[in-house]
Amino acid sequence: MKTITTIALFICTLTFGQSKYEQGMTKAFELWGQGKDTEASAMFERIAAAEQNQWLPNYYVAFVNTISSFSTKDRATVSALLDKAQKALDVEMIKNPENSEILVMQAMIYTGWVAFDPMTNGMKYSGQVMELYDKAQKLDPNNPRAVFGKAEYEMGGAKYFGTDTAPICAEIKRSLELFAKFKPETPFHPKWGQDRAEAAAKECEKK
Amino acid sequence: MKSIFTFSLLLLACIGFAQTEIKGKVTDQKGEPIPGANIFIEGAYDGTSSQDDGSFAFSTAETGKQTLVISFLSFETIKMEIDVATYQPQTIKMRESVNVLDAVIVNAGTFEAGDKARVSVLKPLDIVTTAGSAGDIVAALQTLPGTQTVGEDGRLFVRGGEADETQTFVDGIRVAQPYGSTTNNLPTRGRFSPFLFSGISFSTGGYSAEYGEALSSVLLLNTQDDPDQNKTDIALMTVGLGLGHTKKWEKSSISVNASYIDLAPYQWAIPQNVSWNRPFQQLSGEAVYRKHFEYGLLKVYVAFDSSRFDVNQESINTPTATRVDLRNDNLYFNASYKGDLGRTWQLTAGLGYGLGKNNIGLDLDDVKNTENAVHMKLKLSKRFSDRIKLNVGGDYFITDFDESYQFFQGEKLNAGYTAGIAAAYSEADVYFSKKLAMKIGARAAYNDLLHESVLSPRASLAYKLGKKAGQVSFAYGDFQQSPKADYLKYSDFHRFDNEKATHYILNYQYTRERQTLRAEAYYKDYRNLVKYDDDVPQFDSNYSNNGSGYAKGIDLFWRDGRTFRNLEYWISYSYIDSKRDYRNFPIEATPNFVANQGLSVVTKYWIEDWKSQVSLTHSMATGRPFDNPNKPGFLQDKTRAYNNLSVSWAYLLTQQKILYFSVSNVLGTQNVYNYEYANTPSANGVFQRREITPTADRFFFVGFFWTISADKKSNQLKNL
Repeated sequence: MKTITTIALFICTLTFGQSKYEQGMTKAFELWGQGKDTEASAMFERIAAAEQNQWLPNYYVAFVNTISSFSTKDRATVSALLDKAQKALDVEMIKNPENSEILVMQAMIYTGWVAFDPMTNGMKYSGQVMELYDKAQKLDPNNPRAVFGKAEYEMGGAKYFGTDTAPICAEIKRSLELFAKFKPETPFHPKWGQDRAEAAAKECEKK
Repeated sequence: MKSIFTFSLLLLACIGFAQTEIKGKVTDQKGEPIPGANIFIEGAYDGTSSQDDGSFAFSTAETGKQTLVISFLSFETIKMEIDVATYQPQTIKMRESVNVLDAVIVNAGTFEAGDKARVSVLKPLDIVTTAGSAGDIVAALQTLPGTQTVGEDGRLFVRGGEADETQTFVDGIRVAQPYGSTTNNLPTRGRFSPFLFSGISFSTGGYSAEYGEALSSVLLLNTQDDPDQNKTDIALMTVGLGLGHTKKWEKSSISVNASYIDLAPYQWAIPQNVSWNRPFQQLSGEAVYRKHFEYGLLKVYVAFDSSRFDVNQESINTPTATRVDLRNDNLYFNASYKGDLGRTWQLTAGLGYGLGKNNIGLDLDDVKNTENAVHMKLKLSKRFSDRIKLNVGGDYFITDFDESYQFFQGEKLNAGYTAGIAAAYSEADVYFSKKLAMKIGARAAYNDLLHESVLSPRASLAYKLGKKAGQVSFAYGDFQQSPKADYLKYSDFHRFDNEKATHYILNYQYTRERQTLRAEAYYKDYRNLVKYDDDVPQFDSNYSNNGSGYAKGIDLFWRDGRTFRNLEYWISYSYIDSKRDYRNFPIEATPNFVANQGLSVVTKYWIEDWKSQVSLTHSMATGRPFDNPNKPGFLQDKTRAYNNLSVSWAYLLTQQKILYFSVSNVLGTQNVYNYEYANTPSANGVFQRREITPTADRFFFVGFFWTISADKKSNQLKNL
């Protein structure tokens, strides 16, 4: 009898020793991994509503929606996704205006708007995107995403005008070194971007 | 057995004591299921996403009163209070959000250009990359339907209205002197460089109750809220030079630009149809300062310009030309504050001051005039929900105009007036659904010079026909404007009344990515227009407000950037039928500035290999009426058709250096705007005439534009 009680309690601890927050985040990442963007965003949104002191849930609401906007064709949906991303990020931006990762996410949302309508938004956001990446780098010099994000954004224009891409490639390389050294604070903290940086570095070596 | 029971019990215990199941279904207003909606108890982790049939079910350990949240992309979020214990499964109907890209927009009569517009007809860049516009906002707007090309004047003539029937606003504050001063038949241009404006809204009728003192049209220019970065712009042009600088700080920024224009070298090199003593010369500058506060934004805009020219004006009625020596000084100041008062209230306050001074030598006579104009504005907006917004506000305009005419060694005539206009308005924006929206309001105003109160109702309605079928809208409005200074300055001798117009507009608009089709039909009724009985208005003329008129027509606009790669183009067509009995017209007739049909084709082609944008603008218009005293009747004859093909070429030397060429009227078409007839017939009984033509057949322009900024990306393409 005692044993059974112990086993039952042990199972309890196993399942629930993880906090609700950790469980929820794990579940949301699982959904996202399965390509269920809407469900993942919904899960992050629920966590955000329950955990006012965590910036990550809203950060991921912004991230999931921005990323899915890149692969969405319907313009009304793209703009709704980016609006949703912006709203979620706004909540955290007010609380943590000096968070390097949040600034990088803001730059991503703007990049989404530039892709949405380059003619109108290119002029409007390009300067701001650069400024955000600069600020993000200043706040956290070891944030590989701030370094790579900026380099990637600059690459488009440089290629087009045939400007020398060597300094940009150097930055991409530097971001790879930072990626290698980067240790996320918790398993849920942002750690994305390395694969894209590697792909970009390969492109650099082609020439 | 017992042990298993204990085991399960213990497990259950750690899952939670009383699990309640929350069930239901999410649908839209029509009862169609919404899959993927997020349903959860606020502040708890408990929730789920709805299934393909809209159904949802989840269990919660929460008890008592809770907030159930239902959210889904493009739909309004629902928050409902529930008691977990008594919750019964239910169907939740969600409403589509009206703040989405494909929602209906109330826009009859209005062309939007800029960042904030959900549907832009023009992009900020267009103002300036349009060939033939030479960086003049007004010239670019003249490629839109509903406008008339009046080449000898240069101002905006909208739908059968005179140029002064259009009012210009910067950040919501009136600009009393939006154009440079000029004399007969020399075109003017807008004072504003497109440099500092990020949004332009041009309404050809049926506009909001927020704007008054305009019979035909309003042009709303908004300065940038935030410049993108620190930068310096340098422009070297065949007609002068320009310098601009923007500096950004954490919470504030300043942009300044200055330019010096001198047409002397150009007009020396290229012969003109006009005899200049001193060609046009202008020094101008603008500055915008912006400061962000915790809950609001303050903008201060200052512009000045000082210009002069000296020309010999020929006339068929005088053996020698009249020498016109004009100096104009203009100062404009505008401060506006926009801020939030709590969550749902927004306050806008502004003050504008314009000072215009002209000193005109007419041979040996001397005319001086000064206008001081003030506009104070206060507006409050209350957002009741995403669907209902109310604006209330008030305006106070003061205009003080003084003119003196000094005859050479003779008497001096003075004229002038001071008028105060107080106005209040209220307007509601109501979205009934994503498909149906309405704007309804009224404006009341009192003019203390005319001793007249007026009330002008305004209403517009828009309905979206279907997801891919475009929308129709209808607008109606009453508009009043006090007569222009040319008449009002004789207010000591005659008490004038407001001039009045009523607009009816029916609009159809279809948009999809990079394509816009607009068709608009309108009818405008004019009343109380000023009439007089002399050749030109004088202090002792017999005035009345008995004039009237109408304008009706169709405007078509098609813009396409999707059919051909790297090519953007738009086509505007206007048909208008307009007659007026006003001024000193003996009968109702079509005024000289109205051409019955107009067509503009604007193309912009980006040549990748040359890093160049080549732009062509072709404007055509049927002949304009003129009065031929050799024939019976009044304004009975027509000039030949107008034709102008302009070309420009912007070449990007590097990303930040641009070389720009433009030529207007490449084909050298001999356009005639009007004829001036002799007052008396010649010996053989025929009235002789003189053509009113452009000052030169072609205009050539070469410029070099260089931007210096940290991102090495931005350039002045948008300012060209």
